Amino acid sequence: MLKRNYTLAGLVVLVVAMVACQRDPDDVVDPTPGSGGGDDVQVDPSSFPLDSLSSYGFFTGPLAQMLPKASVLPYDLIDPLFTDYAHKQRFVWMPEGSKATWVSDDALLDFPVGTMLIKTFYYDGVLPANERKILETRLLYRTSSGWEFADYVWNDAQTEATLYMDGLNVPMSWQDDQGTVHDLIYRIPAQAECWTCHKNQNIATPIGPKPRNMARTLDIGGQVVDQLPHMEQVGYLDPSHPPISQVMARWDDPAEPLEDRVRAYLDINCAHCHSVGGHCDYRPMRFDHAESEDPVQLGLCVPPEDPIQPDMTYIVSAGLPERSMMHFRLASTAVNARMPLLGRTVVHEEGLALITEWIESIDPPCP
Amino acid sequence: MLLPGGLLLAQDDCASAVPITTGTYTVPGINGQAPPTFCIGQTANAAEWYSFTATTDQTIVVSTDLPQNFGLDTRVHVFMGGCSGLSCVTADDDGGSGYLSTATFAASAGTEYHIVFDDRWSPAGFDFAVSAQVPPPPGALTFTPMNLTGSSPQGVVDMNGDYLDDLVIPATNFVSIFFQQPGGGFVQQTLTSPQADHPASWSMTAGDINGDGRNDLMYGGGSGVTFMLQDALGTAFTEQSFSQYVFSQRGNMVDLDNDGHLDAFMCHDVDANVYFSNDGSGTLSFNQGGFGSTCGNYGSIFVDVDNDGDMDCFVAKCGCDPVDLMMINQGNGIWTDVAGLQGFADSHQSWSSAWGDFDNDGDMDVLVGASSSGYHKLMQNDGAGNFTNVTTGSGVDLHTGQSIEWTTHDFDNDGYLDIMGGGKILLGHGDMTFTILGTNNNNGPVGDLNNDGFLDYMNGGNGYMNNGNDNHWLKVATVGTVSNKNGIGARITITSAMGSQIREVRAGDGFSDMSTLNAHFGIGEDTSIDELTIHWPSGITQTILNPPVDTLIVVEESINTGVAEGGAPSLGLFPNPTTGQLFLSAGNGPVRAPAEVINAAGQRVMALQLDGTPVDVSRLQPGVYVLRVLDDQGVMQARFVKE
Repeated sequence: MLKRNYTLAGLVVLVVAMVACQRDPDDVVDPTPGSGGGDDVQVDPSSFPLDSLSSYGFFTGPLAQMLPKASVLPYDLIDPLFTDYAHKQRFVWMPEGSKATWVSDDALLDFPVGTMLIKTFYYDGVLPANERKILETRLLYRTSSGWEFADYVWNDAQTEATLYMDGLNVPMSWQDDQGTVHDLIYRIPAQAECWTCHKNQNIATPIGPKPRNMARTLDIGGQVVDQLPHMEQVGYLDPSHPPISQVMARWDDPAEPLEDRVRAYLDINCAHCHSVGGHCDYRPMRFDHAESEDPVQLGLCVPPEDPIQPDMTYIVSAGLPERSMMHFRLASTAVNARMPLLGRTVVHEEGLALITEWIESIDPPCP
Repeated sequence: MLLPGGLLLAQDDCASAVPITTGTYTVPGINGQAPPTFCIGQTANAAEWYSFTATTDQTIVVSTDLPQNFGLDTRVHVFMGGCSGLSCVTADDDGGSGYLSTATFAASAGTEYHIVFDDRWSPAGFDFAVSAQVPPPPGALTFTPMNLTGSSPQGVVDMNGDYLDDLVIPATNFVSIFFQQPGGGFVQQTLTSPQADHPASWSMTAGDINGDGRNDLMYGGGSGVTFMLQDALGTAFTEQSFSQYVFSQRGNMVDLDNDGHLDAFMCHDVDANVYFSNDGSGTLSFNQGGFGSTCGNYGSIFVDVDNDGDMDCFVAKCGCDPVDLMMINQGNGIWTDVAGLQGFADSHQSWSSAWGDFDNDGDMDVLVGASSSGYHKLMQNDGAGNFTNVTTGSGVDLHTGQSIEWTTHDFDNDGYLDIMGGGKILLGHGDMTFTILGTNNNNGPVGDLNNDGFLDYMNGGNGYMNNGNDNHWLKVATVGTVSNKNGIGARITITSAMGSQIREVRAGDGFSDMSTLNAHFGIGEDTSIDELTIHWPSGITQTILNPPVDTLIVVEESINTGVAEGGAPSLGLFPNPTTGQLFLSAGNGPVRAPAEVINAAGQRVMALQLDGTPVDVSRLQPGVYVLRVLDDQGVMQARFVKE
């Protein structure tokens, strides 16, 4: 099906290999998006989802190395969703001659039909061999009727990922940089699970790629670039837009103001459900960064609607994390109590510490 | 600063508890021994101890809700039974203003009570007051918390076939059951199970799927559904799990196709609802569709909405599609949504609904309680499944509490259904009006934990034991023979001097828990019941005259004591005997109606829908049978012989 230009593909492998050896990134940091056809990337959304990840032709060389072809642009977020400590690698691809346009700092970029957002989830230090293990690659692709999901599950040999949309539990044992071993059951979502978070007003949508969460630097093959101007430079983003004024703090940057970090953390981890049009928009919290400047929107001194845990008298009880429903739910791993409900089976200790520090810092006490 | 050593020791443990009477006292700080058990909430590290002995029977209030304690955070437990046998009397955490506590209990003359403050929230000192209160009026509904299980049961339901409600705690690879003993109290037993593919994270439902006399469990998991079938000896469970992704919410067990075998239903949060068909041997198969096509399904309940003798389905909805479902069972596998016609198709955010006959007029009314939205909907049934919103002025409109759980029971046995939800009990007056009970009562599974005829409930590890009153009561356990084993779907009617009341046997109400399968009636001051009638899902109607009261009766479905004695009108059938086809005499019985064929042993061997064409009985073994036709006029039947 896929017409592959083996000569070109081989050349790219060679270039990448040279880059790897020479640590000279110039040849790969100058991708030429817009020339998708020349990259052999499968461009016909009507044939999607394809059966295997390799069929799309995003990458060159061994699939597990995820070396993007020139038209496949890596991107990253200032604040990523916590997903059980999994690492993520993100790419975007757009059809030749098309580009995303800027709606506002707070809104998702308006991606052209044919756009593919490619996100791969993996762990390092996976036991027993203490090696990298890639679990899944999720695609969000835009057709003329909207965004669609496709999820590819990697084989044990890490040579291919196959379309699987029914959901899977994968036992994982891995060792972090400090040598601590973590055991968990990693969840690869079923299609309906994708939709639970990736929707607004019941319309499927990406979550992360908003200018306020993308205005950061990015290391592409060793060269550090400003991500949004770089996207403009390579032709993936229309440069005609007002200068950005809303940029999210890095949630884990202690140099940033505490409340800004909390708002950023709650936005990326919670706002897909707890904002207007989200899965749980009927609850009083409004965690979208654009709505959360007033801490009442974050639940400060707001009683929970449900007495599931009567000890927790407020969503955020000023000064009292132990009396705060937000803290209780972030600290819980019970399936029916934890927040977020999906994508987390273990406690995000660093995130919880941030929320704890913030709640403890709030004064005066709630009435 | 330094206090004499002797003072430090006082009130630091049970043995050194400081005797007090009514008055105000100062706790300097909490650094003594923690009690061995906590009457509410999570454990604490330290406590201070006081001893109170009542001189007369009186209601005692222990309160830290004093002006000088502003901003402090306290928690109190009250025990009786002496230091070697401490048992919970009551407890409170935040019943006062802010985080202060107010505990109230009925003290008996001469009994010693231990009042214990713990450091769950703070080791700081505070003042407290002990005072005697005017006792609540006789008959007032009060509960006493009692630590029964430590962890939180999801079911209060019989698990060993003795019709006493047990406490069920499902874990991933075992089920912990606290079996209620005939003489009172519980004995814990662990029954092994395979590792559940889908633990009961969101809901648990019980019923006898395999018809062996011991209830089985359905687990509503975050990504699928697991059934745990208890073996006939009650020693272990075997698993049937389904790989299909289901974001489970409320589950129910009900005989969806009325073939005499219990099927199951599960709400799906993010997709169309699913159900599991029982092949008759306890083997289930997965189905999706026919019960709504959208997401946001939270609280399903099966109830006869339109009084036509079969179970209809109501789904309280929330979130992505909050328009509730009211699926009317057409009896032929088709369920038709009439929520829009009946005023349920608004954007009310609800996770469950409480269905019962609040005005004792013979039909099921409903409170669709808010989980969000800020208002509740009380809907009155006209008997044919047409609803009127009667919320305004009902007292329900004064209830500001919200919750995911809404259920209805007669807690005070006055013959009028009460409603539990939003942290309160709403006391029903039998006329679609309610009064909010002043105490905090948070939902949990409901049943009779001491077999005294007054319904108790669990919340966390505590049993909230109903202190009862002088009212009379009856509990009915239904045992299906033609119908499913539990008689789920049966409607029970009793008539006493105060009038008639109805209940339905249901598996799965509220949002997450499994409450008793025994039907419970309060009859107020009445001391006798004239008549008890059970309309079984099979269509069999069974009447018992002058059943005993203040007890549990077990009624087995019987064709002999049912229709035959009731003198059901006869159908005309021909040819008779037949070898294959049976015609109904024209003008003698309904043309279109559900029907069934019962063999000589009283077992249903066919279920069918009359459609004007002859009934094909060619597959039946030779013998004597009864064809029963059920329509809204009642039951008609005729014997026939298959050659």
